[in-house]
Amino acid sequence: MGESTVGGTRPPVTDLFDAVPGLAPLRSAAWDGDWETTQAFFAKIPSTVDVSFAAALLAGVERTEWFLEKAVKAQPTDPLPRTLLAERYIHLGWRARGHARAEDVPWDRAELFHDWLRKAELLLIEVCAEHPAYVPAWTARLATARGLALGQSEARRRYDRLVEHHPHHIHAQSHLLLQLCPKWGGSWEAAHAFAQQCASTAPDGSHSGVLVAEAHIEHFTELEGAQAAEYLRNESVRDELRRAARSSVLHPEHRRDWYWTGSHSTFALAFSLGGHLEDAARHFTALGDTASESFWRYLPDWKTRFTEYRTAALATL
Amino acid sequence: MTTHDTSATALDALGVLDGIVRHTTVHGIPTLFAPRPGEITAGLMFRVGHADETLPTSGITHLVEHLALYRLGLSDLHYNGATASTYTLFHVTGDEDEVVTYLNSVCAALRDLPMDRLETEKEILRTEAGSRGQGALSQMPLWRYGAQGYGLSSYEEHGTRTLTPDQVRHWAETRFTRDNAVLFLTADRVPDGLDLSLPAGRRFPTPAPSSALPVTPAYLRGEDGHLVFTSVLRRSTAAAVFAEVLGRALFQDLRQKGGYSYSAEADYSPRDADFATLTAYADALPQKQDAAVGGFVDVFARLRAGRIEQAELNSARGKLLKRYDVPDLGAALLPSYALSLLIGHPILTPEQHRAELEAVGVADLREVAREAWDGGLLQVPTRGADWAGLTPAPRFSPSGVSGTLHPSLEDEDVTLIIGEAGVTLSTPGGLVTVRYDGCAAMTTRPDGARGLTGLDGFRVAVEPTLFGDVTAERIAVLDKAVPASAVVPLSARPAEEIPQPRERTAPAPRTPADESKHTEGRTARAAGRVTGHFVLVTALATLWPVLLVTLLVHGIDEPGIGIAAIAGFALEFWLLHAARNLYRTGQPTTPQ
Repeated sequence: MGESTVGGTRPPVTDLFDAVPGLAPLRSAAWDGDWETTQAFFAKIPSTVDVSFAAALLAGVERTEWFLEKAVKAQPTDPLPRTLLAERYIHLGWRARGHARAEDVPWDRAELFHDWLRKAELLLIEVCAEHPAYVPAWTARLATARGLALGQSEARRRYDRLVEHHPHHIHAQSHLLLQLCPKWGGSWEAAHAFAQQCASTAPDGSHSGVLVAEAHIEHFTELEGAQAAEYLRNESVRDELRRAARSSVLHPEHRRDWYWTGSHSTFALAFSLGGHLEDAARHFTALGDTASESFWRYLPDWKTRFTEYRTAALATL
Repeated sequence: MTTHDTSATALDALGVLDGIVRHTTVHGIPTLFAPRPGEITAGLMFRVGHADETLPTSGITHLVEHLALYRLGLSDLHYNGATASTYTLFHVTGDEDEVVTYLNSVCAALRDLPMDRLETEKEILRTEAGSRGQGALSQMPLWRYGAQGYGLSSYEEHGTRTLTPDQVRHWAETRFTRDNAVLFLTADRVPDGLDLSLPAGRRFPTPAPSSALPVTPAYLRGEDGHLVFTSVLRRSTAAAVFAEVLGRALFQDLRQKGGYSYSAEADYSPRDADFATLTAYADALPQKQDAAVGGFVDVFARLRAGRIEQAELNSARGKLLKRYDVPDLGAALLPSYALSLLIGHPILTPEQHRAELEAVGVADLREVAREAWDGGLLQVPTRGADWAGLTPAPRFSPSGVSGTLHPSLEDEDVTLIIGEAGVTLSTPGGLVTVRYDGCAAMTTRPDGARGLTGLDGFRVAVEPTLFGDVTAERIAVLDKAVPASAVVPLSARPAEEIPQPRERTAPAPRTPADESKHTEGRTARAAGRVTGHFVLVTALATLWPVLLVTLLVHGIDEPGIGIAAIAGFALEFWLLHAARNLYRTGQPTTPQ
């Protein structure tokens, strides 16, 4: 795709199929409705964390439910097709709902949202019953638990079942972190404590440090006016972010993988919003001309803001 | 001793038990006996229980049981009576003379009930009822069966207010007959001196089940801290093993692994000749109850998927096999065989049952798990369980009636409709209707109040003070339309207990009188004083009989079943007593 110069004003490459090397064949298979190739692609993924990543990405490709539903019928005992279909249903649910706050979601949209999530959940209940060690299904069940408002303790139970098989699953940890935020029934104390705990117990160079940034960004979005502006500027927050970045994506042990773009984008956002341009610069550099929209989407006209912040940050180098 | 045709036929089924249990007839009553050293335990069982009653006569069996035991007074005998859903049991443990005295006295009383005691015993039962049916499990029968048959155990015993001597006498004459009874004795012979003559009659089959659940699996919202699941299964050895497996799986997952629950258990109890009730229960702290529901759904999903370890099956099977590992096996099996004979369930010898237990495989358990889930009713403390594929049990009637409109004086969105076919309460959530031709009971007060309960369990309270224009003429419509047999007259209320409308504009603080006003939906009775202690004690009081009846009916794992049963009933009595005191005072009592 684009050969943009780092630091230029061209918008970043935000489609992760393009931004992350190695994923394009999955998109082609999905566009072609080619289940064999899709299945073969997943079969080659060595880690369940990456399976969850690819599953969530595939869920965003239009009309994939058609061939996934066929695959589920053809392979009724295989956990993969049902999990991929459930991820697609979850995606369709969120699209029906929109990203408004719960109290602003119209009744009919909330109904549609829940209908999709219930369809997903029924598939996932089966998969987890038959294959209790199949982590991608438990990961998706954290999303359904949140959307269906099944409660804090139920989300935690699902996470605990998952942790029995994978202790540092960044995708699942992100899901639970959202659940622990006040907008999904948790508290800031619980959310920050969970992020810190994940970051401190994970091996050096893993992604878990990004949870600290995610928690602070979530916290920031709940504040208004001067409080919001001040929150990420706060030195103690900045120091936490720095420690988290150093122990995770900036650690010498850290290896580039599929989560690279997402994690650096999140750190870049947290430092940029706090005015810590020099800290942000290292993450913008790592991103090159790519970006993940997941948290940047919280900003209006985020692509413009991204290039502005990136230009300002890289100017400090 | 005499022989009677009907009982002789019934006894033919016992041929398989030769060498284990002997049988004969005593004054026409089929009698099973098998020796056991020491004191004799005897049980006289009748095929009549709560499920045979109607809502207006509910409690009539219990009343007969109390009257039959009254003359035994305060003797030192270890005896008691128990009224269950489909049978009534009089049992005693003592020496031969004591057993003969007890059984003769019960039968003499049944032939000629001490009717001078009727009003007093009714009052005693009303007092006892203050606590019954308030446990976490108490609402399940009502939601599954409605206000009839097997659903009546959710209700207070209306008959303890209205039953006449003639009604009670007629019930005893028709249901407590030699042809509707079975006797068992842990003895090597029938003792001399028995006089068990009872009128002839007929064996009543167990009532056909009604249904108030159009779709299953279904769920309903219950109180915080309790999760209850019931289902109806075809009776089989595999189903009994499944209940063991389920109980262990719940305990392991919800308590040992998750720490969400303290209690987590399952029970399998025969309902009638062909079907059994599966009950699963788990408690949970309010902050953990979401996880308890999730864990329950996942445990069941695992069993439905057939992912059952051989070790789980083996230990469940081992527990059931252990029941045969007792001395004086024949005596230990008597209560179970007596009940099977009474309700017409095929009798298996120990060898046959052992062979069936050995033959149960994982695939059988998976089939039972699916059957159990498909017919299940889950009471959750959380918002709902639709996410797990369950349908809400109906909280509103499918339709209303037309008639005169009587707006609520408290809530402008609520209207009472009194029509030619029935009454409807129209609320923002839906309609609650009781049709006169489907009315299980209507309570009446001299002040004009009427409380109608439909056979489907829905209830509408017509309080003239709370709705506009509920005139004597409109009340007369109800009185004319509801069959006299469904009417339950209640005594006059003191003026302060007659509900008065709250101000519409400025809601007054809730007063006790508010509790009874437009009661709608399927609550069997107004809420009382429910404290934490109360919930605990009533949960125990409700669960214990389930265990106890299982013990008694399958009373084959315990050589001293008679004494154990009496101790069990004593414990149950104390639990009920404690629960009643809690309900009244909100304070725990100490054991007497």
